[in-house]
Amino acid sequence: MDDAPEDLRPLLPCRVDENVFARIYEENCGLLVSLAVRKFQVPTVDAEALAHEVFLSYLRHAGEVRDLHHWLIGAICNASRYYWRKHGRNIEQLDTDIAAERPDPRSRNILFDLPDNIALDEVLERMPPRWAQILRLRYLDGYSIKEIAEQQGVTSKYMQKLVGKCLHRAQEIFNGMRARKDQ
Amino acid sequence: MTHSDDVEHLAECSACRQRFAANVVPFDPAARRNREREFTSVAGKLERERDESSDVVARYLRDTPTDEWSRLAEMPDLRNNAALEQMSEEVRRRLHRNPREALAIANLSASIAESLAPSQYPSVVLAQLRGTAWKDRASTLRYLARYDEALEAAERGEEAVAPFPSLAHDRAIIRLVKAITLGQLERFEEARAIFSECRQVFREHGDTKRYVQAGMAEAGSLYEADRIDDARKLWMDLLPHATAEGDVETQARIHNNLGYCEIRRDEFGSANIHFSEAVAGFTDLGYTSEVARTERGAGLVLIARGQITSGFARLRDARRAFTVAGMTEDAGLCGLNIAAVLIERGDRTAARAIAQDVIDEFTAAGMNERAISAVIALRDAIDVDDATAETVNTVHAVVESLREIHDAAN
Repeated sequence: MDDAPEDLRPLLPCRVDENVFARIYEENCGLLVSLAVRKFQVPTVDAEALAHEVFLSYLRHAGEVRDLHHWLIGAICNASRYYWRKHGRNIEQLDTDIAAERPDPRSRNILFDLPDNIALDEVLERMPPRWAQILRLRYLDGYSIKEIAEQQGVTSKYMQKLVGKCLHRAQEIFNGMRARKDQ
Repeated sequence: MTHSDDVEHLAECSACRQRFAANVVPFDPAARRNREREFTSVAGKLERERDESSDVVARYLRDTPTDEWSRLAEMPDLRNNAALEQMSEEVRRRLHRNPREALAIANLSASIAESLAPSQYPSVVLAQLRGTAWKDRASTLRYLARYDEALEAAERGEEAVAPFPSLAHDRAIIRLVKAITLGQLERFEEARAIFSECRQVFREHGDTKRYVQAGMAEAGSLYEADRIDDARKLWMDLLPHATAEGDVETQARIHNNLGYCEIRRDEFGSANIHFSEAVAGFTDLGYTSEVARTERGAGLVLIARGQITSGFARLRDARRAFTVAGMTEDAGLCGLNIAAVLIERGDRTAARAIAQDVIDEFTAAGMNERAISAVIALRDAIDVDDATAETVNTVHAVVESLREIHDAAN
């Protein structure tokens, strides 16, 4: 008996019909485009093209790919990073290991302190685009954690941690700017 | 940059995948349908070509003299993805036993891939075909020790895939060959950076086999650079992946390498455990020569570090394993290693006995007369109390050099 989870079985062990490929495309296209747009801020039109290229490149690897989703997600993440390297921007991907940690207490008063000290835009400018967007949504546009989580396609709990991490990063950037000014 | 856990989670959880993809990104349904149609049509084309081309390459190679293989590039039924896949497989099969034939096939493959009509496949697929062909050429050139040309070929492969962000996996496969070549040119720093980068890409694509392969090479280069703790850490990290893959050979090799790391860290107990694990793995696989080599390597290193008893025991096991495997010359060389230790310890009787055993074995196997004479001279020197460990090592070097000359002549 083969008791491996369905996702881990080779999807394309040998010959398959075109319907299988159509299903792969339909079931995963939205996910790949969303990853490129949401996590890496790739413009939608380019994200569609990137996702399409990922599918096409998958065809020559299909026989050796054991976990389709793992492969496709790895491919779109790498493709998005490469896209930005070619377009001259560095994207820092979210790191949930750090996000899962308790937010630094030094960040607690950041919202009161920051506007008094620097232009918020200057800090946000120096942050990875997605992080800046999350802070804007939360503190400038007034969205709730739940609303931002829904919009970003993650859980509220995760978004809460993420906001903490974004604030911490903003504080670090701010401290760095202040240190440079003091020199 | 790390591949964060939420992305890892998406790969494993269908509910989160659905939620993540749901109603966020607006798209043009007609454009998406057209793309899907292109994807399924290319998929169908590749499958049909595979169905129609089974064994086509093997047949052509069999029916054509080797020196005319380059002319096969004109054959219409070899000018497609399926045939190129088969050529890549033929290169892989011949790499070890006939690298020159492998190179001829890789050249044929590169020549076909470079001259396919742009309309035959989407540009990203064409780039993959070209990248793979150049990578195969790089591998064979590396195998033939033509390292500069190998690097050039790998770079041609990189150029082929460079315009396509989606080809990170293909790019990493090509760069892995490049890094191995750089390592052989002793450009360790450059090689290590590429190994590390490739490992990351393979991990993100769930390609455990290549992840371990890149990691093994990276850890090896760390060890060479004397970064023993880093190398050890990486090998330790790779071990569960090799275990999960059921790759017993790699597990045994990792244990062997960890054994060397532990010796360098003066952790002799742990080293012995790792060497024993390596020997057990190679024994399970029936790799008798690897068992013997592992024992000999471990024995020599342990003795060099002053762990005479355990090292001596391993050398004896190694000699026994070489004898069982019918590797008379290696068994003899191992016997000389043991004789050196015995002389060092003042046990000349045992050293003479083993020298005599080696003479008898070499004679029975009809080995090189000069090798036999060298060991006879050693035995006679022991008889007159005129042999030191250095004398034995000299004889060892003579026997080994005679083997190298013999190997080169063949």
